[in-house]
Amino acid sequence: MKERVKAKRAGNGCLKLFWKQRYLQLFVLAGIAYILIFNYVPMVGLIIGFKDYKITSGLQGMFTSEWVGLKYFKEFFTDYKFPELMRNTLVLSILKLIFSFPIPIIFAVMLNEVKNKKAKKFIQTVSYLPYFVSWVIVAGLLRILASDTGIINDILMSLHLTSHPLELLTSPKYFTAVAVLTAIWKDTGWWAIVFLAAITGIDPTLYEAAEMDGATRIQRIRFITIPCIAGTVTVVLIMALGNLLGGGLSGSNFEQCYLLGNQGNMAVSDIIQTYVMRIGLSNGRYSFATAVGMFQSVISVTLVFISNFISKKISGNGLF
Amino acid sequence: MENKSRKKRKSRGDIIFDTIVTLVMIGIVLMCLYPFYLAVIMSFNEGIDAQRGGIYLLPRMFTLDNYAKLFRDGAWGRAFVVTVARTVVGTFMTVFFTLFVAYGLSYKELVFRKAYYSFFIFAMYFSGGVIPYYILLRSLHLLNTFWVYVVPGCLSLFYIVVATSFFQDVPKELAESARLDGAGEFTIFRKIILPISKPLMATIAIFTSVGHWNAWYESAFFVTDKKLRTMGYLMIAVINSSKASTSAADAGMQATATTTTLSIQLAAMVVAVLPILCVYPYFQKYFVTGMTVGAVKS
Repeated sequence: MKERVKAKRAGNGCLKLFWKQRYLQLFVLAGIAYILIFNYVPMVGLIIGFKDYKITSGLQGMFTSEWVGLKYFKEFFTDYKFPELMRNTLVLSILKLIFSFPIPIIFAVMLNEVKNKKAKKFIQTVSYLPYFVSWVIVAGLLRILASDTGIINDILMSLHLTSHPLELLTSPKYFTAVAVLTAIWKDTGWWAIVFLAAITGIDPTLYEAAEMDGATRIQRIRFITIPCIAGTVTVVLIMALGNLLGGGLSGSNFEQCYLLGNQGNMAVSDIIQTYVMRIGLSNGRYSFATAVGMFQSVISVTLVFISNFISKKISGNGLF
Repeated sequence: MENKSRKKRKSRGDIIFDTIVTLVMIGIVLMCLYPFYLAVIMSFNEGIDAQRGGIYLLPRMFTLDNYAKLFRDGAWGRAFVVTVARTVVGTFMTVFFTLFVAYGLSYKELVFRKAYYSFFIFAMYFSGGVIPYYILLRSLHLLNTFWVYVVPGCLSLFYIVVATSFFQDVPKELAESARLDGAGEFTIFRKIILPISKPLMATIAIFTSVGHWNAWYESAFFVTDKKLRTMGYLMIAVINSSKASTSAADAGMQATATTTTLSIQLAAMVVAVLPILCVYPYFQKYFVTGMTVGAVKS
């Protein structure tokens, strides 16, 4: 209503147009209002990391509570848990990036060498099944696969790699390896889709010409396939780097550490994200937990900007 | 082309190469399928007996007790209903709200269009973290209600981007001629836009519904009412014994003569994975398109 009056009075072209398309505007504004509430309000809510927030004061309390500056950040940096949480978060994230990033590429390249179309399709379909089940299911499967009497220990023992069943799920020695391997298991097929799509887009005449010249298949992969998908690899790598602390491409650090973590392996499975949940929601220390979470976000945002900057330098286009 | 190379005698290098590729592929297929197969056969085995290990290919002591116990259990039954309700309601809301907003946003002459778009994109990259989010949900009185499962996240920023670019490729004349005929935007959306967006709707619906079906996070952190537990949450109960004691009791899962909490859980896992297993290969073309579009866009 206001708009109509304004549009008439001002005769402003922009407002007239706005009024003409009011229903479409309404569609979009509904979305804007929704995002404003569910995404932007929590962003503003980050200020409680610098305040003494009490949960009883509700949403307004975010603004009315007392400022305490960097108190909670300092508290976290001097917390005896800090070095351990940092180490666990970084070790898990970096190992996951190093090991789980190249495997989908290798898998895609190898799958492309399968010439039987039906077999290729079948393998691909099977390979991303794990992506579609939840981490809860993966943790459940591990309970039967990696238990004392499970098949993994049976295999290790029959190969004489160990004389007694390994405590794969409860010992801090194995947690990181289990987390990295399950991440690979779950995500390889899925991320291979992107790389396979890039490989499919390569001009087939390149391969034909190389074959004429007597290039072996390894050489064709080395000199045609790999260089042709390098651009895609860069983009995906940057996406993974941007979410390094969340757990790379699929951001599974929290789910893994929460679902596979237990009293036994807590020394390595407790990361910043699980700490935030525990200290915030279970212990009710909202301001402190917000400050801890913000610390990780700041690192993540910095990583996004750095990787985006590098992307722009290398390929000329960034993610934003 | 294929014929020619087949006629040519394979070199020794090619044979070694093919053998390695074949072996690796067989290994990958086995690794992807076997864990699920093992869960299925163990769910048909007596729980107490299964603890001894050594079951690889077939159940050793066949039983239907685990499923009988699961289906008779009130907590699992309720969790199943809640999960189905969440999946259906949540998917419906996300698909329509997202397409609705994206349709408006795809209109090229929309005033403030660029600003709106940036507003959405910014929210895609930055978030306030879980604690302020929790406080928001609390203030909106969403905690401990069914709505906390479906209202947050019922607008997918990622699919707004995908759908907007999809709608921009729709010939403008379609909507314009309807507009000249005096059709309202809601009518155009319902009668013209929705029917041509079926592949897009399918893509969004598949991803959203799988997400809802698998979800456990909200049930674990934002809900304390036992009646609102989802299947994903009840499964956590058994997976992690240290966190399990209370929730295993919630689920009413007491071991009986032959079943264990784990064996009942395996039956539940099979029930939870089955719909995904049945559905996902058929929708391949949709989500592969959705994903590659997404990857290119982002």
